[in-house]
Amino acid sequence: MAAPCGGTMARPLVQFASCFRRTAVGKTGFRRFSGTSLCRAAVQTERATESASSPWTLMAAVCLQRLPVISAPCSPVEQRFKQLVQQMELENSLLSDHELRLLEDAERMSRKQADNYDSDEENDSRDQDIVLAQDLEDSWEQKLKSFQPAPRVRADVDEDLSSAERCLADSLVLLAEQQVGGEKLWLLPQAQWQQGETLRQTAERALTSLPAAALAATFLSNAPCGVYKYKLPRAVRTDRSVGTKVFFFKAILSDAGPSAAAAPANAHFMWLKKSEMQRFLKPAYAMKVNSFILNL
Amino acid sequence: YLPVSVQLQTSFTQQTLNQTLSLYAASANGRQYHSMPTHGIGRWKHLLTKTVKKKKERYQMKALVPWTDVSYGTLNVTVSGYDMTLVEHYAQHVHQLCNRLSIRAALCYALPTRTEEVMLMQEHGTKMYVDAALQTHQRVVQLSSVNTTLCPVFMEVLLKNQPEGVQLSVKEHTEEDFRSRFKVRPELQELMAQMNQ
Repeated sequence: MAAPCGGTMARPLVQFASCFRRTAVGKTGFRRFSGTSLCRAAVQTERATESASSPWTLMAAVCLQRLPVISAPCSPVEQRFKQLVQQMELENSLLSDHELRLLEDAERMSRKQADNYDSDEENDSRDQDIVLAQDLEDSWEQKLKSFQPAPRVRADVDEDLSSAERCLADSLVLLAEQQVGGEKLWLLPQAQWQQGETLRQTAERALTSLPAAALAATFLSNAPCGVYKYKLPRAVRTDRSVGTKVFFFKAILSDAGPSAAAAPANAHFMWLKKSEMQRFLKPAYAMKVNSFILNL
Repeated sequence: YLPVSVQLQTSFTQQTLNQTLSLYAASANGRQYHSMPTHGIGRWKHLLTKTVKKKKERYQMKALVPWTDVSYGTLNVTVSGYDMTLVEHYAQHVHQLCNRLSIRAALCYALPTRTEEVMLMQEHGTKMYVDAALQTHQRVVQLSSVNTTLCPVFMEVLLKNQPEGVQLSVKEHTEEDFRSRFKVRPELQELMAQMNQ
């Protein structure tokens, strides 16, 4: 096999410390994500560039995914089960401090209204008469009413295929329109491998060379997750170039950059769910790509 | 004739008694003060070999697995969040996933819970009052030697199954992480400092 596969194995392993946060605060479209990769300054084995060049052109592509931001809606069976379980747990649970206080206050009020009430008999000399538990509950209800949660599904944003904030409950994959041998095809962003770099660096270069906005991504591993082989038609085939081999690398989107909303050249890339991707990809390519994109 | 048969019987029983007693005398720890023939019938501890009891050692750190070209070393997967049921269930999910994918989960432990009090300013006034007490729970699953080819699949499954309100963090395990679990003993540190001076 040609140099690159061996090259990826011989390079020092890149360790990573990554921290994934899933909070609703901040940018609505993304999970807050920070990843740092520490390059080990270990032995770099020099692979002598072999003179025997293989007839295959090597390319590396990046499968950039935007993870879901909100949880998927429950199916009817799941909803019914959830309600049942919640009801059972409520019936089996003990009273909380707040509920006990409510009961005590109600009982004290009823004792006060009674005719033979003597305030000296009151055992508890705490100032619970000032702030009743019921008042606290009312004030909390008021605060809840003034809270407006953001809508879970926004139909207009979902229609826009190039926005990274569509379909918040699903994971989306980035597709770019690239020129391949005279045709414009919709593919995972790819770039050609050059001598002296690892395939992962090629994939990173493919990502940064997109005309789109700055996409900050974290690569999951040095090892590719899939490969696609394309043989040129017999007429064009020569001894030097039989076809191309594309290696896919997985990456997770951490931040789409501030200009995500205002990029005018949106026709060049799309964020698609796995089911929608079938429409845009060639069948052989789609088959290979489907095998490593998880539909969880 | 009766008396003769009685004598014969008594002598027979006497003989059996003597035999059994002599059998016991022949065994290793012969105790003969019980005259019942079945005395000591349930003893079995004398058949085992004597084992020396190990003294319980201080809790040492397990050796850190070094990273190689094809696998990561000791990794710490920390799951933290405010909701304890979610955090614990997610940690269990991580552990079961490792078992399913044949990744060795070396150690699972919990870090101490941190309580944060949320104080709000009063509407009319300068005093702050306590609104709520939030508790952050943390569970750690330590993995040894994950394959590089398996890692992206594993990470992706973890990320896609991450529930809301739960933070996931994957880091290398270091000695500092291990030592942070222990309580600080200021008197011991003072004495050590004095000794070293």
